[in-house]
Amino acid sequence: MSGGRGFDPRLRPTPGRRDPGQRRIIVIAGVVAFGLLLIVGQLWYLQVLEGGRFLDASDKNRIRIRPIAAPRGILFDRHGVPLVDNRPAFTLSIIPRELDNRDAVLGRLSTLLGLPYQELVDAVGRVAPDSFLPVRIRRGLTMEDVAKVEEWKIELPGIIVEVEPQRAYPTSRFAAHLLGYVREASDEQMKQGRYRRGELVGQTGLERLLDEFLRGRDGGERIEVDAMGRPIRLVQQTEPHPGAEVVTTIDRRIQEVAEKAMEGKAGAVVVMDPRNGDVLALVSTPAFPIDQFTGNIDRSAWLRMVQDPQHPLLNRASQAQYPPGSVFKIILMAAGLQEGTITPMDRVHCPGHFDYGGRTWKDWKKEGHGSVDMRRAIAQSCDVYFYQHGLKIGGTAIAKYAKAFGFAAPTGIELGTEKIGLMPEPKPRVKGDRKSRPWTGGDTLNVSIGQGAVLVTPMQVARMMTAVANGGVLWKPRLVQRIERPEQGVVFRDPGHVNGHVELSPAVWAVIRDGLWAVVNDWGTGGAARIPGLDVAGKTGTAQTIANSRADRGEDHAWFAAFAPLKDPQVVVVVLVERGGHGGEVAAPIAKRIFNAIFYEKVARVGFPG
Amino acid sequence: MIGIDRRLLQNVDWPLIGTGLGFAVLSGLTLANLQVGRVAGSVAIRQLVWFAIGLVALLVVASIDYRKLVRIAPAIYLLGLAALVAVFVFGRTVSGARRWIVIGSVSVQPSELFKIAFVLMAVWVLTSRWAQPIGRFTLLLVLPVTAIPFVLIMKQPDLGTALLLFPVLIALLVGAGIRVRLLGAMFLAGLAMLPLAWFLLKDYQRERILVYLDPFRDPLGTAYNVIQAKIAIGSGQLLGKGVAGATQSRLAFLPERHTDFIFAVFAEMWGFVGCLILLACYAFLLLRGFDIAASTSEPVGRLVALGATSMLGAQVLINVGMVTGLLPVVGVPLPLMSYGGTSVLCSLMGLGLLVSVRMRQFQ
Repeated sequence: MSGGRGFDPRLRPTPGRRDPGQRRIIVIAGVVAFGLLLIVGQLWYLQVLEGGRFLDASDKNRIRIRPIAAPRGILFDRHGVPLVDNRPAFTLSIIPRELDNRDAVLGRLSTLLGLPYQELVDAVGRVAPDSFLPVRIRRGLTMEDVAKVEEWKIELPGIIVEVEPQRAYPTSRFAAHLLGYVREASDEQMKQGRYRRGELVGQTGLERLLDEFLRGRDGGERIEVDAMGRPIRLVQQTEPHPGAEVVTTIDRRIQEVAEKAMEGKAGAVVVMDPRNGDVLALVSTPAFPIDQFTGNIDRSAWLRMVQDPQHPLLNRASQAQYPPGSVFKIILMAAGLQEGTITPMDRVHCPGHFDYGGRTWKDWKKEGHGSVDMRRAIAQSCDVYFYQHGLKIGGTAIAKYAKAFGFAAPTGIELGTEKIGLMPEPKPRVKGDRKSRPWTGGDTLNVSIGQGAVLVTPMQVARMMTAVANGGVLWKPRLVQRIERPEQGVVFRDPGHVNGHVELSPAVWAVIRDGLWAVVNDWGTGGAARIPGLDVAGKTGTAQTIANSRADRGEDHAWFAAFAPLKDPQVVVVVLVERGGHGGEVAAPIAKRIFNAIFYEKVARVGFPG
Repeated sequence: MIGIDRRLLQNVDWPLIGTGLGFAVLSGLTLANLQVGRVAGSVAIRQLVWFAIGLVALLVVASIDYRKLVRIAPAIYLLGLAALVAVFVFGRTVSGARRWIVIGSVSVQPSELFKIAFVLMAVWVLTSRWAQPIGRFTLLLVLPVTAIPFVLIMKQPDLGTALLLFPVLIALLVGAGIRVRLLGAMFLAGLAMLPLAWFLLKDYQRERILVYLDPFRDPLGTAYNVIQAKIAIGSGQLLGKGVAGATQSRLAFLPERHTDFIFAVFAEMWGFVGCLILLACYAFLLLRGFDIAASTSEPVGRLVALGATSMLGAQVLINVGMVTGLLPVVGVPLPLMSYGGTSVLCSLMGLGLLVSVRMRQFQ
């Protein structure tokens, strides 16, 4: 009813009395109507008169859209040496729309290359049957396979071999945990909508952390092809944009040396610069063959990797936690001296055992260390000394200083999910909670030598050592210096972040550093790391593995955490060897090899320029 | 502000609103049958959400007295200019053009919204005291009001939207009663300026115009879109290929198929008959708009209705003209069909202005 108002003749001015404005509006409406009529005319021409011709053209439209994969960004070490590079590799793809006889072609391909037939059917089945976009079947084809496909090309319509950039690593396991592997987006990742099928995505390590930067923007080509699928002409091309280049803080040479030193052992090495928190090397062994993930890893190889009792996929530097053992005595020194509970001159007689609470607490050296002051006690890692002083300092103060040095807190390294360890401390008993067990002096004794429930990651120990070396600054481990894009210049720069300070008086720092120097250089437990001409300061640790866990293997975890040179610390090296035995015997020599490589070859490099 | 009188409600132009919403169905169905982006269907759903938001905007605009809107037009206009400037500062660049501002998860295209602001502002100037009588001095007033946003939008660069300002301006001048001789002089002056404009164009814009003049100039590059669109439209023939047969559109031969070239998709799917129905819907909207303008004797309302209608009409003609190969390719969306939230919102607000004028013309 109301809808008809606009056309109600009574409400319209009669045609004879149109005002000039109305006449003008009618002219404009006429122009618009004329335009619409022109369009109708054009549509009549295109669709009715010439429609058949265009229908023909649309049927013959054999344009192949070929994505050109953008090369992933390259990761460089701090001196501009590539850590990972790209090289061209052959990819086998299927274009569903061009499969004239799907079953026959896939069957032929399956026999030709020995690929499971069902896998091919599944891959094609995942996309629309009239899709123009190539579906990737296999990456990293061998030259032999490429030759076979080319030879049988006429029998294989819709099967193509493309050249795409693929990750290339210096060696199969080089910096595997640090770099991380790259794989095609999983179904789950595609569901999140961020990736397309077949797209390569960084799955762990730096490749994952920096995926957005490393991933370039794919280009594409529209190619007109003939009935045989042979390209006739290029219709349109969009250049791929390569990913950004990343300059890391890693020193490839040190990384290689550290990996070599850890060969055959399970454990971790972290090398850091205490002046800025730069991570110079990060090793976790056993490593996994990173290059095998880039192609299509077959299921059995993957399962073998995941179920390997050695856990090669685990990044032991930041994702595994261990009792720190005697390395933890550094915390006791800091706590005792700063709180004023002990002085460096206080002496303790060590008979090789300590009686407390009706139990005998053993020192690692059965015959005892005799009468020791602090310097001797740390150098010889005398347990009895630290039992006694641990009781004086108390569990609460120990926990406070351990936390000040960054234990039981993330270091902020962004390689996968970081473990934060555990620092037990006395807590008031919760009423009614049966699990809440009162803190005993025995707990304090255990903590005093880095045993009991204390758990740390090698990364945390490295950060603690940087604080000891630089006088209390806890750096967030820095892995990336800057990210550059070819056309935009620097798009990201990490100036380094400090995530904590340890406030100790200068005298306390001096005593700690002198004690750590003695560990290596003055008949201490770390003598195996001694390098003439270089003042290495460090602490050994031999951590008893948690009782009743895999007792059959028996051995303890070997630790060595050190920095050098003493006067102007430039490098922190932390070595952990899982079930390796004594820290001084197993871990210290590895650290020595790394220090040697850093300082001696560095001198050589300065000495012979060019 | 939103005082609604019962008499006003009796005069709501339901067929106009109904036709506007009918486009939601056409647009949604067309988009749903295209596989755009990574998740099929979501584009259509987002478009429908925008239609819903646009309907609310339509009702809000309609419920406000358009005279009040014209009274505050300078403020709206300045706000719009500020948004256009903001695009250069905060704007997001998509395929070389800075047209979007991202607010949260929504990206807004200020140049689209500016169209409404421009209509209101032009009406404000033309009905102001200083503009009377309509003559040379009026032109002096109204030209800078057009030129400033024109340059700003050109620089994004968005030639299509920038050029749209002129047909609207001319329609409003004609409606306001400019003398034919003066309009002719303006036209000649504009013609004389054309060589100058050539230098202001970006390379790709020049290329498109050259391709329009000579389609075989570059059959591989710029003309690709035009040729593929023609194949799509033509192959639809009389009755169309239906959804499944629309290979041109579904196989992604057609570029910009969910935005500027959506008409080609529609034409391929539904053929000449479908196109006639679609064009008839537009013709109904436009003629109804002109009818509202003509039957309103109050000058402000008449010009508002005329401006809103010519804005829609110019977009329809330019878009369909370029897709069918009658005009060079400039980026103008097809109102109420092309995918794009701001465009839908703006078009429905335009309809809101029409409804508003109609409601109040018998007061």
